Amino acid sequence: MAAVTLYHWEPNANSGKPMLALMEKGVPFDSHYIDMLNFDQHKPEYLAINPQGTIPAMTHGDLVLVESTAIMEYVNDAFDGPNLMPGTARDLWRIRWWMKFMDQWLAPSFSMFGWKYFVGPNALKAHGQDKIEAQIAQIPLPERQLAWRKAVFGLFSEAEMAESGRRIGVGIQMLEAELAKREWLASDQYSLADVNGFNLAYAMPLSQPHLANDDLTPNIMRWLRAIYRRPATRECWKLGRTPMASRVEILEQDYIPPRAESEGIESGVR
Amino acid sequence: MGMILYHGEPNGPSLAVLAALAESGVEADCRPIDLLAGERHTLPGVTEPLARDMGIEGEGPVLVVEGEAMTESVFIAQFLDESGANTLQPKDAYAHWQMLMWCRRITERCAPAAAFLGCQATAQPRLAAMNQAAFGAVLNTIASEDLRVRWVAVAAGDFPEDQARDCIAKVTDAVALVETQLADGRDWLMGELTIADFETYGWLAGTVTLVPDAWTGKGRAAAWLARVRARPSVQSALARATLPNPESQWAPGPEINRWG
Repeated sequence: MAAVTLYHWEPNANSGKPMLALMEKGVPFDSHYIDMLNFDQHKPEYLAINPQGTIPAMTHGDLVLVESTAIMEYVNDAFDGPNLMPGTARDLWRIRWWMKFMDQWLAPSFSMFGWKYFVGPNALKAHGQDKIEAQIAQIPLPERQLAWRKAVFGLFSEAEMAESGRRIGVGIQMLEAELAKREWLASDQYSLADVNGFNLAYAMPLSQPHLANDDLTPNIMRWLRAIYRRPATRECWKLGRTPMASRVEILEQDYIPPRAESEGIESGVR
Repeated sequence: MGMILYHGEPNGPSLAVLAALAESGVEADCRPIDLLAGERHTLPGVTEPLARDMGIEGEGPVLVVEGEAMTESVFIAQFLDESGANTLQPKDAYAHWQMLMWCRRITERCAPAAAFLGCQATAQPRLAAMNQAAFGAVLNTIASEDLRVRWVAVAAGDFPEDQARDCIAKVTDAVALVETQLADGRDWLMGELTIADFETYGWLAGTVTLVPDAWTGKGRAAAWLARVRARPSVQSALARATLPNPESQWAPGPEINRWG
């Protein structure tokens, strides 16, 4: 079998998706940590792998794959192991629908908070204004340049943040309603939609404690704890190197009460 | 298991799904709806409306199976293919990844741009001509707040110039991408005929008149467009048109990426 190398940041959001999918699938891989806050993803050695400078990327023999959800589908197709796209054709449709909804509608809203309160300020603190300007200028994709500029220099407008906040509220209600219908997000079996959703949602009880907790969203909490208990999840989160990954330990608590929104912004670091 | 496919005029995502349906051999009851009258939001017999209400695609087709509304044209096409002839997706895992990446490139970057320009050209006058009460009644049936915002922008003629320029650039990029992809002389985008051909055709067919400059000197792309159009499945989809020039019929589509 050709060797698999995964280039990833923390087990979180986009990086965490293929990490967890590979581990659930039982595919051994060479883990290559890319320190996003150190701009490793824009260094020549990484751009030689993925010229777009986005994380994650995966190589399988001579093949290079990008885009986290598409990588997960490839992993499921290309390797033996448990089928992570199980069920009927309609279940597959539902898995794909939820992944697209999360990837394009809900996750960008979460990440706007994460970048404003965590990624931007931490990158600025670590590098200083002049160096960071130069780093941003080297980013290959213009839309990623814009995202970094907005995050680092606090340029997200109030209207943008309000809209992201609205979407997070709506999305959490949608997840809760869906998980009240069935054990897993998109079908009766554990699937890539759950892998995707966990990476999006695992820290919600910390970052959105006023919206996601055992009183308001018991089904989300049941689902997050069930995924957290899986051996692959435990192994995956061990690959984290920053306090970001340790947020997952909140799921060891049996009861998480509602708390104020402001506490979430302080501790949430999405 | 009876299926009902509610579709708009055969353009954009409705065209893609109608063509995939014909290729798949799956039986479905195809019912045309007037997207600009908001009919998509008041379909009968929908007990699971979530995907219709909160889909990314905007006013795309809706396949109703056992009361569940299924949306997103690429995924409906995959569902039909997997329920039927199973000929429209590469079997090799890497080739399949390439097809998915292509479709994402089209649905995330080209589709919002084409819908923006198409709505500016043809949907805006029709929505602007609706009386206030009738338009308000349509808006009241739309569950998604951000889709409602896109409808209001179209009716109000709110098409900022910088966005229009960006949309023209994105459509131009997509046509150029097709031209490059066909450089090795292949007939279809992925080599074999796949969902990518129908999805791409659906969003690009109408841009021949919307952004004619994008097609200048793009002989391979133009020949591919004609090839897709000649497919019996596309011809049967076009035969379902209830208005002349279905490729000029547009409705509010996916939103333009909020991150830029």
